[in-house]
Amino acid sequence: MRKPAPPALLPAPPILLRYALLEVRRTLRDPGFVIFGTAMPVLMYLLFTNVGGAGGADGGTYWAISSMVGMAAYGALGSAVGTGTGIAEDKSLGWLRQLRITPIPPRQVVLGRALAGSVTVLPALLAVLTAGGLVNGVRLGAGQWAALVVLLWAGALPFTLLGIGNGYRLSAQTTGVVNVGCLMGMAVVGGLWFPVELFPGWLRSLAGYTPANRFADLGWAVTRGSAPGALTVAVLLAWLFVFGSYAVVSYRRSARTA
Amino acid sequence: MTHMEDSAPAVSFDGVSKAFGAVLAVSGVGLGIPRGETVALLGRNGAGKSTAIALLLGLDEPDAGTVRLFGGPPARAVAAGRVGAMLQDGRPIRRVTVRELVTFVASAFPRPLPVAEALALAGLTDLADRRVDKLSGGQTQRVRFAVALAGGPELVVLDEPTAALDVEARRAFWASMRAYADRGNTVLFSTHYLEEADSYADRIVVLDHGRVVADGTSELIKGTVGGHLVSFDLAPAAGLRTEDTGDTENAVNTEGAEGAQGAGGLLVRAEDLHLLPGVVSAEVRGGRALLRTDDSDATVLALARLGAVRRLEVVPATLEDAFLALTREAVAR
Repeated sequence: MRKPAPPALLPAPPILLRYALLEVRRTLRDPGFVIFGTAMPVLMYLLFTNVGGAGGADGGTYWAISSMVGMAAYGALGSAVGTGTGIAEDKSLGWLRQLRITPIPPRQVVLGRALAGSVTVLPALLAVLTAGGLVNGVRLGAGQWAALVVLLWAGALPFTLLGIGNGYRLSAQTTGVVNVGCLMGMAVVGGLWFPVELFPGWLRSLAGYTPANRFADLGWAVTRGSAPGALTVAVLLAWLFVFGSYAVVSYRRSARTA
Repeated sequence: MTHMEDSAPAVSFDGVSKAFGAVLAVSGVGLGIPRGETVALLGRNGAGKSTAIALLLGLDEPDAGTVRLFGGPPARAVAAGRVGAMLQDGRPIRRVTVRELVTFVASAFPRPLPVAEALALAGLTDLADRRVDKLSGGQTQRVRFAVALAGGPELVVLDEPTAALDVEARRAFWASMRAYADRGNTVLFSTHYLEEADSYADRIVVLDHGRVVADGTSELIKGTVGGHLVSFDLAPAAGLRTEDTGDTENAVNTEGAEGAQGAGGLLVRAEDLHLLPGVVSAEVRGGRALLRTDDSDATVLALARLGAVRRLEVVPATLEDAFLALTREAVAR
């Protein structure tokens, strides 16, 4: 009895990184990504905080900060689920099938894609935070800024997985629609666009269990000068598990059929 | 790897079947392709070519039988970078340049071709820095070819590689393919173009309704259905009338035919044509008998004896004749 040959002769990490790099490049060259993924959240943030006036000086500052976090989270969320739209497109072009007849192990393709998705979360995130600091004069400590970036970047992972799950499961067109639907629904209910304080009571308590709300809360906690709460972390981990399983199941199903 | 695997054929199918629902796409296929051979897979749409290729590449699992590449399961050969393929309907991804795409694919293989060489083989040197999604259909096809070769695979599988190419591009493509095969690589391609199979393959495998209906050199396959095509005008006697409605043509041919019939009292009934020596199959079209024969001399002599040599023609059967005969037979079966 011979032991089964190892799946690849190449060391795994380099090809994963090369694939992620290829995907990051492709995403950054997409005008749709630059306009809707990055410019739009910045524009919405500036509109929401400068039009109509959000009360007195104190209230204004508070809203400038909390909306900054909300819109940064919204931008990151959009880029994260957008990863799936790219996957569905590649599937429809036969590119995923083509990758399956290269020595790249299929898992590395998914991981590379997730990694690329994590990187493409950064432009929107950084752009909104920059607009907060430079245009709206938001002042935070250096450690707070760094914590904001790291937490909102890492916290986007469940949404990348949700997008990947949709991308492997659905057709290219459906994925686009479903991803935008997920994005809008989660963003609005999660209080990224308007503060949950404006919601009726029942919706406000529901919001606390939605992933986008807890995702943004990572950032809101930082701006309040505290660490993210245990409940926030627990709810996010639960969603990470749900979306992660969804991505794995979708991927396995597509490997059988695609 | 053991010695046995070193000498194993590039491709071997043993009793391979695959059904999709009630449709048996591939049925009991047995096939061996030694290393270094160039093989054409010929068949009509839906004959099972693409399914056979998907099974070969390990993209699909057979319901029965085994597929082996270089003596092992397809997945192992793919993981070892010994296989490259140009899939049907594959379209290149967007927002990458030709060079970026080919470089990336090459980097996934343990023994890739130099990128410049892969680009040159596919005729893409001048297009290397263009975006893949900005290319024409024929240029896109060449990108897919470069992707198939980039890894320097020992076995190249091409599913209808020249479908979108014009005549000149097709010729250039086959020159590159030849060059790659001449390095000792194995090539399997499927095509609709019979002349491509005829001119570029060492061997042709004809697939119909999921079965191998013929397998051999082009000459051998032409031979199986009758090496020559003998045709002549039928006399307009009652016995020769067929369901064919070529009445006008028959009328035109009548004058010439009268004399011979009067003198010889000839009667070759259309339904008896296949009884003539050498004849493999017979058909009447537009008042003309078309006989496929594997002994054209004997057939012609017999016809002469019967006095039936009106506008007689003898031409070697083409691969197309053979292909049509083979696949039509399978329909009737």
